[in-house]
Amino acid sequence: MSSFKRDKKEEEDSGGNPYQNLDKTIVLQEARYFNQTPVNPRKCCLILSKVLYLLNQGEKFTTQEATEAFFATTKLFQSKDVMLRRMVYLCIKELSTLAQDVIIVTSSLTKDMTGKEDLYRAAAIRALCSITDSTMLQAIERYMKQAIVDKNPAVSSAALVSALHLSSTAPDLVRRWANEAQEAISSDNPMVSYHALGVVAGSRKNDKLSTVKLVTRLARSPLKSPYALCLLIRLAAQLVEDDDSEASQPYIEFIECCLRHKSEMVIYEAAHAIVNLRKTARDLAPAVSVLQLFCGSSKASLRLAGARTLARLTAKHPTAVAACAVDLENLISDPNRSVATLAVTTLLATGAESSVDR
Amino acid sequence: MVHTTMEGSLFEPTLYIVKGMCILDNDGNRVLAKYYDKNVLPTTKEQKAFEKNLFNKTHRANAEIIMLEGLTCVYKSNLNLFFYVMGSSHENELILQSVLNALYESVSILLRRNVDWRTLIDNLDAVMLAFDEICDGGVILDSDPMSIVGRAALRTEDVPLGEQTVAQVLQSAKEQLKWSLLK
Repeated sequence: MSSFKRDKKEEEDSGGNPYQNLDKTIVLQEARYFNQTPVNPRKCCLILSKVLYLLNQGEKFTTQEATEAFFATTKLFQSKDVMLRRMVYLCIKELSTLAQDVIIVTSSLTKDMTGKEDLYRAAAIRALCSITDSTMLQAIERYMKQAIVDKNPAVSSAALVSALHLSSTAPDLVRRWANEAQEAISSDNPMVSYHALGVVAGSRKNDKLSTVKLVTRLARSPLKSPYALCLLIRLAAQLVEDDDSEASQPYIEFIECCLRHKSEMVIYEAAHAIVNLRKTARDLAPAVSVLQLFCGSSKASLRLAGARTLARLTAKHPTAVAACAVDLENLISDPNRSVATLAVTTLLATGAESSVDR
Repeated sequence: MVHTTMEGSLFEPTLYIVKGMCILDNDGNRVLAKYYDKNVLPTTKEQKAFEKNLFNKTHRANAEIIMLEGLTCVYKSNLNLFFYVMGSSHENELILQSVLNALYESVSILLRRNVDWRTLIDNLDAVMLAFDEICDGGVILDSDPMSIVGRAALRTEDVPLGEQTVAQVLQSAKEQLKWSLLK
């Protein structure tokens, strides 16, 4: 470790780290260079990343400084360099909360969002939605609806995630996009499907009946995306928790079915839900055996996930966890301290006197 | 009882899963960091204190995952860089792990497998874009490294020789040599 450290310091001295000891006023002065034509993309990218670096390090910009930097940045729209344009979007997003009159770039961003270059479109949508307030949303509504069902997954995801963010400030407007989002759930792209489900479920949050319909329909024709499945399991589990009569049986069956999925993420999600929902030790058995397997995994995050969920179970079903005592004992000497601590506390809570000696 | 404080609870059906992502150097200083939840570590001061604490607890043992200050943090290190992804302690650890893998792999591809501090600093803009492509305001935007790198718009290497600095030419020559030796 110490040799690496020395390496780095030596390099720092000789190599010239452009981000070392940056001074805010100097960087802001450098930003004036953006006014020059023709634009030098590489040089401008470096200056933009210096601005972003300062913001990232927590440097405080006054409103005036941020506004100046913002307006200088808008000059760079004249360049067609993809990398530079992406950095400009990033700067717009980061400065949008600090600077004034940021809506000045609305038309440039709308142009990029509806243009031909796919790499621009996705990022432009996200930047645009970060500067748009609910009053201006209506102006771009048509484009948003189109973008949600766009063939390009990056564009579709960008629109869906932006819609999700906007739904906290303009829920009624975003609800009007639910049809498009609904359509996107069946996308072949796993992320698009996931984001679409998130938007649709969010818009139905306070409407239990339509949530029931949504979950019932999707549980029958299982989603391909592991992330979307995890979300669906959470929605289904919530329905079971609200109403644990016979009516919720299909949801339980769906969740148990997910225990046999090929993605560990989904298997764990299902096991975690079952452990928290099921009442009798017999119902728990399949989920507990999955968690038991996780405890023996070579990946620390799996061991922790398994041990943590078992630890939570001890309060409700000490006997079910006691069956895993041997697996938990193996974890006492785990190289990961969080795992080892969990195993010890769980064993102490469940353990019989006979196992204390070991 | 220990367990009353963490009694059984379902995961919340939300897309806002990632609380933060950061890359630290081998002194525990921030190279890049993003926090996505206003209620979690709202000020830079708190964030940096958390990062120091996180670094102190993790830099010696490459144990992959730690529970710290109410957050589940998954991490991975290489030479002189430390990558972290943070989520709530009531979150599916494996989802967080998938985000960390996406972060590490995309940075690794962007840096052409030279995951070290110097190379990262030289490509900080591309890595900032990768951050932006992985997570948008706490929502996982993408977890496929190839598609993330594709979206982060890799700089095209067709800059005319005359416009490159001597250092850049040397660097690319060095890289070519290294790759030809590694083959």
